[in-house]
Amino acid sequence: MNSISKCQLAALLLITDMFGLFCISGNMSVETLYGVLAGTALQLLAALVFAAKGGELSKLAAVFYLMYALFCGGTVFSALWRTSGAVYIPSESGNGIWGQLMTAGLIALVCLYSSSTGIKPVARAAVIAAAAGIFCLGIDFISAVFNAEWSNVTVPEKRSLAYEVLRGTALSGGLGSLVVLSGAVKGERSGAFVWYFAAKAAVSSVLILTVLAVTGSIMDITEFPVVTAAQLSQPFDAQRIDSLFLVIFAVFAVFSAALQVMTGALLIKRIFPEFVRWRSTAVIVLTIGAALLIWGRELLLVRASAAAAALLIAPLGAKKSAAVSSG
Amino acid sequence: MEKGRLLPVLDSSIDEIYRISGGSSDLLINRFVTGGIHCALLCCEGMVSTSVITELIFEPITDIPQQKDSHGLFHYINEQLLLSTDRPAVRDYDTMFRLINSGFAVLIAEGVSFGLAFGVQGYSSRGVQEPSGEGNVMGAHEGFTETVRVNMSQIRRRLKSPELVMELFTKGQKSHTDLCLCYMKDRVPKSLMEKIRRSLDDVELEAILTTGYLRPFVENSSFEIFDSTGTTERPDVLCSKLIEGRVALLVDGVPYAIVIPRLFCESFQTLDDYAYKPYYAVFIRWLKYAAFFAAVLLPSFYVAIVMYHPELLNSTLFMLLVEAEKKAPLSIVTESLFVLLMYEIIREAGVRLPKPVGGAVSIISGLIIGDAAVNSGLVSTPLLTMTALSVLGGLVVPELNPQITVLRFVFIIAGGALGLFGISLLSCAVLVNICATEDYGFPYTAPLSPFRRKGMRDTAVRMGIKKMQSRGFTVEEYHE
Repeated sequence: MNSISKCQLAALLLITDMFGLFCISGNMSVETLYGVLAGTALQLLAALVFAAKGGELSKLAAVFYLMYALFCGGTVFSALWRTSGAVYIPSESGNGIWGQLMTAGLIALVCLYSSSTGIKPVARAAVIAAAAGIFCLGIDFISAVFNAEWSNVTVPEKRSLAYEVLRGTALSGGLGSLVVLSGAVKGERSGAFVWYFAAKAAVSSVLILTVLAVTGSIMDITEFPVVTAAQLSQPFDAQRIDSLFLVIFAVFAVFSAALQVMTGALLIKRIFPEFVRWRSTAVIVLTIGAALLIWGRELLLVRASAAAAALLIAPLGAKKSAAVSSG
Repeated sequence: MEKGRLLPVLDSSIDEIYRISGGSSDLLINRFVTGGIHCALLCCEGMVSTSVITELIFEPITDIPQQKDSHGLFHYINEQLLLSTDRPAVRDYDTMFRLINSGFAVLIAEGVSFGLAFGVQGYSSRGVQEPSGEGNVMGAHEGFTETVRVNMSQIRRRLKSPELVMELFTKGQKSHTDLCLCYMKDRVPKSLMEKIRRSLDDVELEAILTTGYLRPFVENSSFEIFDSTGTTERPDVLCSKLIEGRVALLVDGVPYAIVIPRLFCESFQTLDDYAYKPYYAVFIRWLKYAAFFAAVLLPSFYVAIVMYHPELLNSTLFMLLVEAEKKAPLSIVTESLFVLLMYEIIREAGVRLPKPVGGAVSIISGLIIGDAAVNSGLVSTPLLTMTALSVLGGLVVPELNPQITVLRFVFIIAGGALGLFGISLLSCAVLVNICATEDYGFPYTAPLSPFRRKGMRDTAVRMGIKKMQSRGFTVEEYHE
């Protein structure tokens, strides 16, 4: 059986969540941080219940998770299109819809190759990518700290805490994958879940606090706060390092999409065992189709509801048997 | 090859040997009578030592007293004469020709359907010399040679433990190449040995002329950019691998040994690392990591930054590059591909030409063409500098040079087409490919991913030998 370690699962999911955070639009405040932390805590509780109950997914639950993976994959591509103008992807700038489709096509190609190698290699690569990404983010944001205005952290919130909790819950594109892939994790599932949610809470907190400190005063005119914070975080006087963020952005986009594609392909294998070839290709095509349907909308309510459903259905829709095969 | 048993009638047997060999000129058949029995001694010209065969075979054999029959003669030779330490029996023509062509002399006699072979090898071979590819300052200066038995003795000399097992066997339907599987039986898991043996059972090649013929059989069949098996031409390096629980495969006629499995981080380790103080070894090791990344990525980063992300440069550097590039008639991608291609052609010419000419050609063509290209304005100086640095970086990790060369080209194209975004996408694909490289359950990227903290002590850093001696590391720790 293809098995992955809890660190590898955590890295895969963390990358997905970080990419979601990069693409978050609209105002941010310290309430956003509380929202993300509250959402994470709720998800951890639900995940621990699932870990305690265990079992294998029923066919109906598998169909739900397949839909969820397609939806989350769609949101990844949609978010990529929304944000790509701000981070400057050369192929996309000035090429309109064709540029966007080309960007999506290239990422889809890399996803297709990645998923063809199986979950283990992608999980191993995700650990290296996450480590490198966090290192680069560290450089980006440490340089921000020196120019940061920490009083910005207390800028008053314009939205309710309930909205921020909803937004924090929606920032969890990997929950379906967490449920599906948890059967492939070596050791106790609960350990893997704690690892992931703790890492997510820590990295999100650092990221959001830095973003607030850097862009707090111009939050009203900021479309993508994390991207803007990265652009404002310049360690040198005479040169810019925005492109470092582009590298992390692209790498995280690939792994976020690859995670959803692999999850979808695994679920198709469970639902339609006779469908052997072209599983990943089918998932990618459907994912890009979903992205075109979503087309730039954030759909926070739908995402938050789907994330909540993903964790509730897991223990409810589980059969008492062996762990899920990762294929 | 004929599998038939030896014929008991000497004349018929010799006719059969002539028929099988097609009357090959290098097959020597010496007929003589000893102990009253008609015999023939067969050997291959150039494969046996004339002095040894005269002293150890001819002189004692012609002094044999009268025997009642051929069985008595062979019994006498076996029991009374110690003609050679290596004396396999020959019962069929297949074995006979394999032995004769390996430097044995085979004695056949009238009335018996088997022969006696004596190891009297005396073919000329290259002596033990300093390895040409794996340079070393503080370690031994002995490398493998083309003779498998000499290589076996070099390993045995360094590892006198009875746990070291060397299994000699032949492969290649036509070449009958001697292969030797070496391992420490207390370190290598039995399951790994079984898997490797099963992989080698699939070898049905007609000839094995280099290690490259065998490596695909012991490597994963899926597309891998990097090799999951390594080669070394140093017996001391091989011994260190054997102690770590790896398996080695020696091939007769090749001065390299195949090491199974191989890890990515090993390409950055040399024996010298363990001869210097740890702090210097760590410095050198990180220098090699940096050189590897520079070798693969430096030209592509240059292309991407100049074309799409000039904001990464400070104004002085930016103006300098603008000044240099505005004179160049070609686009930056074309220019960098042209320079790299030029370098690869010069390098290939330097390798293929005779040694005294090759070096001179490399230097002169590099200097003349490089200088002329810059002076004529065909190539910009900063680009040439970047390319030279990248090429030099690749030479720091010679084992990965083929991969570095190809990746460098692909990354330039990706950087030229899509900037850092393209480089990032390609990096992801390459990273996944490297992580997918795995043989017999040993991930190529261990101990980085899957992460093994203990393994990082000789990967990220190089801890002291005193600490290492208590570690008892075997590669089995990385098995998944």
